[in-house]
Amino acid sequence: MRQAVILAGLALLPGIGEAIYFRGKVSWQSPIPASEMVTVDQARSWSDGAIWADARPDEEFAHDHVPGAFSLNEDRWNELLPQFLNAWSPEKRVVVYCSSQSCNASREVARRLRDEAQLKNVFVLQGGWEEWLKSRK
Amino acid sequence: MRTRIFTFTLSIFVCAIARAELKWEQTAVELHPTPGDKEAVGHFKYQNTGSQPVRFKSVHTSCGCTAAQSQKDEVPPGEKGEITATFKIGDRTGTQVKTVTVQTDDPMNATTVLTLKAVIPQQLEINPTFVFWGQGEALKPKSIVVRASKDFPVKQLRVTSSSPDFQTKVEQTGNGQFKIDIQPRDTSRNMDATLIIQPESSTKTFYAKARVTNAAAIQ
Repeated sequence: MRQAVILAGLALLPGIGEAIYFRGKVSWQSPIPASEMVTVDQARSWSDGAIWADARPDEEFAHDHVPGAFSLNEDRWNELLPQFLNAWSPEKRVVVYCSSQSCNASREVARRLRDEAQLKNVFVLQGGWEEWLKSRK
Repeated sequence: MRTRIFTFTLSIFVCAIARAELKWEQTAVELHPTPGDKEAVGHFKYQNTGSQPVRFKSVHTSCGCTAAQSQKDEVPPGEKGEITATFKIGDRTGTQVKTVTVQTDDPMNATTVLTLKAVIPQQLEINPTFVFWGQGEALKPKSIVVRASKDFPVKQLRVTSSSPDFQTKVEQTGNGQFKIDIQPRDTSRNMDATLIIQPESSTKTFYAKARVTNAAAIQ
């Protein structure tokens, strides 16, 4: 028993060392502030006060998407942005989503909408399309 | 007790000899595609330096814009190969970092994260790419600033509005810097235009958008 505890303790040492060394460098940390994220429930509560942007590739959008969402991915940004902006209105919040929690496309699209188009009230959907699907069930 | 110690030592010894080991030539690749390139392809070369075959369990990319392929499912001892990562540039700009996560049955290196960095040249910086007026807002022009990068000098810029409802005026404000003034004919109704921005030295066309919305402007 004592041997097992010692062995388990020794096995933990490299893990603890790595956790200390890589503290603050963990890749899954969100690069955007929490205030720019929105949950599915919150976004749904905005109802018509929100405009949805789907940052996933064309095929995924074509397969299924949030009702009323506009396709806005970086593959065809120059072509899709004008269509999205035609539907945008200053009083509306923008909700951008991609496939899941781990994808980055929605963050990039939200950043470009804020920085390049200078839109305000742009939010990234937490959990993305996966989370939307769960809420639909 | 002695038997246990012997078994433990022997198992470590056997593992050390009969190991599978995939050595990567590099796990990070930086690419500099030229303007007009549609894809950027990174090659991650490896060799199995162990004495056991290594099997690829999965190869996943961090983005739908990147596809990764391994040439083989199993790498025999001593053999070389590569994982090819193809990044679709599309309309992306700036520095893009994508990862490829490779999982193998090599217990020492079960997961390897390969990093593909693509530095996409930005010929023109357009700021903002969108201007709008609220309905009834004063008829004043709004400006878009265009800056050419050092690597792509621009002496002249041609701007065309897709709609006669918007007038544009281009003024050179510095070396490779321009100001585009846009003004709608009136702000009493909804209207929009796409501004086609064409540098004289480039085949690439850039776009901006102008709109009169049906809401009060907050710009």
